[in-house]
Amino acid sequence: MRRYFFEILAFSLIVGSLFFFKECLDYLARRDYVAAVLVMLIGVAVTSVGKEMARLALVQRD
Amino acid sequence: MALLLGINVWISVVLLPAVFVGAMHGFRFGVVMLPLAVLAWGLVRGGEAVLLGVFPATILFPVAMTPAMGSSHVYGPLRFMLVVVGVVAYLFGVSFFATFHEPPAPRSVRTLTSAQTGRPPRWRRRERVYWMLVGLSVVTPGILLSWVLFEPSIQSYLEQMYPGRLALMTTMLAVGAIVLYLGIYHYLFLGVLRPHRTGDRDIVVMLARASSDAKVGKPRTRFYLGVLVALAAMFALTLARHL
Repeated sequence: MRRYFFEILAFSLIVGSLFFFKECLDYLARRDYVAAVLVMLIGVAVTSVGKEMARLALVQRD
Repeated sequence: MALLLGINVWISVVLLPAVFVGAMHGFRFGVVMLPLAVLAWGLVRGGEAVLLGVFPATILFPVAMTPAMGSSHVYGPLRFMLVVVGVVAYLFGVSFFATFHEPPAPRSVRTLTSAQTGRPPRWRRRERVYWMLVGLSVVTPGILLSWVLFEPSIQSYLEQMYPGRLALMTTMLAVGAIVLYLGIYHYLFLGVLRPHRTGDRDIVVMLARASSDAKVGKPRTRFYLGVLVALAAMFALTLARHL
């Protein structure tokens, strides 16, 4: 059960981080560079957290 | 087989576009015939470098001399797909027939004990990497080129920025896409997969270390760091929006 929870969480975080990168592109198109950098940082951080969740899901599988 | 596939590539990439845009007069005729001469040289000499390197490069000479040959009104999406299939078939065919040589029949056959156990995992892994590289080599340049050649917004932007030079700029962008793909292939695809392809012992050691690290069922420091960075950036973004 914990394994599925971690897998769903990891998938949601990694897919959800794409939204932040899309927002980053939108901010760049509007020439709001500071906001673009901040949103990109959020995207990278969310991807990193999702990667850790995927690692925990892998441990649960074993 | 290589002759037929090479002539197919020459006809579809060079001859038909040259006839279509009227680039068969004077010295341009010689440039159009140049890839055919290189193909014949490669077949007679039997060199892989000529057939897989020089011939595809000389295919680009006539297009460089007459950029209109590579424009999107010459290549519709369907024709572009047919040309892609022809070029891929030529590259696969030549690389296969140039490296595949049937060994002479042995005098006697003795089964080795290692042959009973099937193919070892490292060879199966290596084969998967090879197929992955082949897939990436077909899909990535196809997507890049079709995007450059057939995306309406790119074409309208080029027409607006470079009036009267649309064909030239489209061809330049297509060449840029090919160069970008070669860089991506060399540094990202091949670069990342090189340890899997050749350094089997290193990758096994690395995977074993990652597996033993993963046995510790707690989040590592980078998890907390990621949460902290995300929260800090959200806070900074909120401040920037409302102050």
